[in-house]
Amino acid sequence: MRHRILIIALAALVGFGLAQGGTLELAVDSSPAGLDPHIITAFASIAITGQIYDSLLEVNADLQLEPALATGYTVSPDGLTYTFTLREGVTFHNGRPFTADDVVYSFERLMDTDTGSPYASRFAQVESVVALDELTVVFNLAGPFAPFLYNSVSLAIVPREVVEEHGNLQQVAVGTGPFMLAEVVPDTYILLEANPNYYRDGEPGVAALRYNVVPEASTRAAGLRTGAYHLIPDVDPATAQTLGNVAGITLLGVQELSYTLIGMNTTRPPFDDPRVRRALNLALDRDEIVEAVYFGNAAPGGPLSPALTDWALPVSEYACYAADPVAAKALLAEAGYPDGVDFEIVTLGSMRVIVDVAQVAQAQLAAAGFRATVTVEELGGFVQRWRNSDFDTFASLNGGTVDPDGYLDRTFRTGGATNVFQYANPAVDTLLTAGQRATDFATRQGIYADLQRALACDGPIAHVAYATLFTAHRDEVAGFVQSPTRSLRYLRNVTLQ
Amino acid sequence: MTSYVVRRLLDLMFVLFGVSVLIFLMLRLIPGDAVAIMLGANVDITPERVEALRRSLGLHLPLHEQYWQWLTGVLRGDLGRSIWTGRPVLDEILARLPVTLQLTALALASAIVVSFPIGVLSASLRGGTADTVVRILAILGLTLPSFWVGVLLLYFASVYLPAWPTIGYVPFATDPWGNLARMVLPVIAVSLPMIAGLSRILRSSLLDVLSLDYIRTGRAKGLARRTLLYKHALRNAMIPVVTVIGVQVGYLLSGVVVIEQVFAVPGIGRLVIGAINERNYPLVQGVILIVTAVFVFVNLIVDLTYAWIDPRVEYA
Repeated sequence: MRHRILIIALAALVGFGLAQGGTLELAVDSSPAGLDPHIITAFASIAITGQIYDSLLEVNADLQLEPALATGYTVSPDGLTYTFTLREGVTFHNGRPFTADDVVYSFERLMDTDTGSPYASRFAQVESVVALDELTVVFNLAGPFAPFLYNSVSLAIVPREVVEEHGNLQQVAVGTGPFMLAEVVPDTYILLEANPNYYRDGEPGVAALRYNVVPEASTRAAGLRTGAYHLIPDVDPATAQTLGNVAGITLLGVQELSYTLIGMNTTRPPFDDPRVRRALNLALDRDEIVEAVYFGNAAPGGPLSPALTDWALPVSEYACYAADPVAAKALLAEAGYPDGVDFEIVTLGSMRVIVDVAQVAQAQLAAAGFRATVTVEELGGFVQRWRNSDFDTFASLNGGTVDPDGYLDRTFRTGGATNVFQYANPAVDTLLTAGQRATDFATRQGIYADLQRALACDGPIAHVAYATLFTAHRDEVAGFVQSPTRSLRYLRNVTLQ
Repeated sequence: MTSYVVRRLLDLMFVLFGVSVLIFLMLRLIPGDAVAIMLGANVDITPERVEALRRSLGLHLPLHEQYWQWLTGVLRGDLGRSIWTGRPVLDEILARLPVTLQLTALALASAIVVSFPIGVLSASLRGGTADTVVRILAILGLTLPSFWVGVLLLYFASVYLPAWPTIGYVPFATDPWGNLARMVLPVIAVSLPMIAGLSRILRSSLLDVLSLDYIRTGRAKGLARRTLLYKHALRNAMIPVVTVIGVQVGYLLSGVVVIEQVFAVPGIGRLVIGAINERNYPLVQGVILIVTAVFVFVNLIVDLTYAWIDPRVEYA
C-alpha cells in the first residue's frame, strides 16, 4: 500500500515536472505524407522526423557540423576511413540501448534497393560500414569523398526491431531524438511528447510539441495573434509584412539555401546556345524582382546561396548580372536571333512566389527580345514536364545543400539525377569530380569558385534570388534558433515563459 | 409512394454508376500520374523503381481492367486503399464525413431559421426602406465569396475576440462547447450566401402568392393580416423555396469544402483537395461517390417534401 502511494506520488511529481514545460503549439501548412526518415523528402515530414531521429552528426544554425549520436570522429590520412566514437548511454524511445550495430543496420537499410531511399546516392562512395565494438563504427570509402561528413547527416539511425515489426516506418516512429511520436489525428494535428531519457541534459525545454495542420496562411497568422499557436515556421513574405509590427510577436529572418530560378533546356533552340543563356541572364533585373516579389526580403545570388559564406562568390563577380537589356539584345542578335525569340516559361501554380517571379521576369525579358508565354501548371503536370525535360524554360524553387557538392553535382553533372536541362559540359564534370576528391578546404574553395564562374552565366540555370526564411513566434517562446536549412532542430531548446 | 421511392433509389444506382465512370476517366485524363508525383523531385529514381511502384499500386493494368477491379470492389463495399497511407478509403472518409455533415447541417439550419423572417418581413413591407435594405444586403450576401468572408471573420475575431476559439476542430463528444464555438464562424461564412438566396426567393414567391385572387378574397372577408400571411400565403409560397433548398445543399457542400480550408476543419473537403493534389485515385473516387450519393439522396427527400407541403402532388 505504502509502495503504491509512493509510486503515485512519484508519478505525480514526474507528471508535474513535465507539465511545467507546457505544450508548444505550432501551425504548419500540410500533413506529413509519411514519417520514414529514409524515404521522406518533404518539408512537412522532415519538420517532424527531425525531432524524433538523430544522426551521427548534425548541422547547426551556422551550417557547421556538431556531434550528435557520435561524440567525435577521426579520418585516416588517405581520406578513406572515417571512425566514429558513439555516445554512451543513449536509448531508443522503446528503451533499448543504442549501439554501433544500429548504425550498421540503418546504413544497410538505407542502401537496400527495396527501401528505395532517395538518400542512397549520398552514400554511393561508401564500401562498407563495420562495428568495431559497441561504441565504435567505421565507414570505409572507395575513394576520397569530401562531402561525406555532411552527407552522413542524412543517415537517420533507426531501430531494427521496429522496422521488422511494422514493415516500414511511415506510420510508426521510434528514434533517439528529443521528442517521441504520441498521436496523429489526420489533417488536424501531430503530437510529439518530450523524451524523458534524452541524452542532452535539460532538453527538451517543453513537455510536448503539437503540429497543428492549418492549410491557409492567413488562418495561421490569425491563430498566432490570438495565441492559439506559439510558432509558425516558414512564413511567406506577404504574411511576414503584416506580422512584423504586431506587438507580442517576434519575426525572425535568415538567409535561405533555396532559391528561385529559371531553368533552360540546353537541347532545344534557342537555349542550346550559351550566348542566349547569357543574354537571358543579362536581361533579368534581379534587384527589381527582389523588390516586386519578395518586398525586399531576398538577395540576388549565383549558383550558391549567399548564406554559404565559406563558398559563395559575390554576385559582383558575374558580368551577366548587370541587368542590361540593350547588351542582352545585342548578344541575342550575335547568336543569330536579331528579331528576338519566342518561348514558353512553365511554372507551378501552387507556389505564389514562382508565378510572381515568372511574370516579372516575363516583362523584363520582353525588353531584350525574349517573348515568353507563361504557362501555369498544377503540381502533377509540372512534375511530369520537368521530369521528361518537356520545356523550353521553367520557373521554379529549388533547395540547396550545405556542402556545395550535393546541389551542384546532381544538378549540373552530365546525366545528373536532377539535370533535367540535359546540360553536358565535360569541363564542369571534371571540376565536380575534383571537388569531391579534394579533402583540403582551400583547394575545394578554389574548385567551387571556378565552378560558380563557369555556371553562373553560361549554365542551364539563371539563378534569381535567395529568399529570407521567416519564422514568427509569440514573445512567450524563448530560445528558438532559426537555421538556414529550414531545420527545426532547435525546437528542443525552446521554453515557454 | 413506396414504388416511387424504390424507383428513385434505382435511379440513384444509375447516377452513381455514371458518376463512377466519369470520375474514373477524368482523374486519369489529368496530366501527371500518382507515381510521378510520389517520386517527385527525388534524387535517384531508376526505371525499375518506377515500374515496381506502378505495379504495387495496380496502375500498370489497362484502364478497363483497373476500372473493373475497382467497381467489383465497390460492389462488395470495398472502396480500395489510400495510395499514400495504405488505410482503407472507407475508413478515411468515415473519419471526416461527420465533421462535414455537422457543418453542412448547422449551416442549412441557420440559413433556414434566419432567411424565413427576413423573406417574410421583406415581402410584407414591400417597397419600404426595410425592404430596400434587405434587398441590398441580399445582393451583397450572394456576391461575396464565402472564403473571403471567412478570412475576414477570422481576422476580426482575432483582433476583437482573441479568447474565442475560432480555428480547428474538436469532436463534440470530447468538448461540446469547444466544438460548437469553433463552428460559429465557418457556419456564418457558409450560410450567408444561402441566407441571401433563400430570403430573395421567399420574398418573390410570397409576393406572387400575395397577388393571387384567394388572398384578396381572404382580405375582403376580413381575415387578419397575420393569419393571411402565415396560414394562407406562406405554405403556398414554399414549393419554389424547398426546390432551391435542395439545390443549395449541393452548393453548401462545395462551400464547405472551401471553408474547411480556411478554418482548418478536418472534413471531407480537406481530404479531397489533398487527394486530388497527390493523385490519390482511390480516395478521390471514393469521396466523389459518397458525396454524389448524399446529394442525390437529399434531392429525393426534397421531392418527397413537396407532397407534404402540397397534398395535390402525387407520386406515380
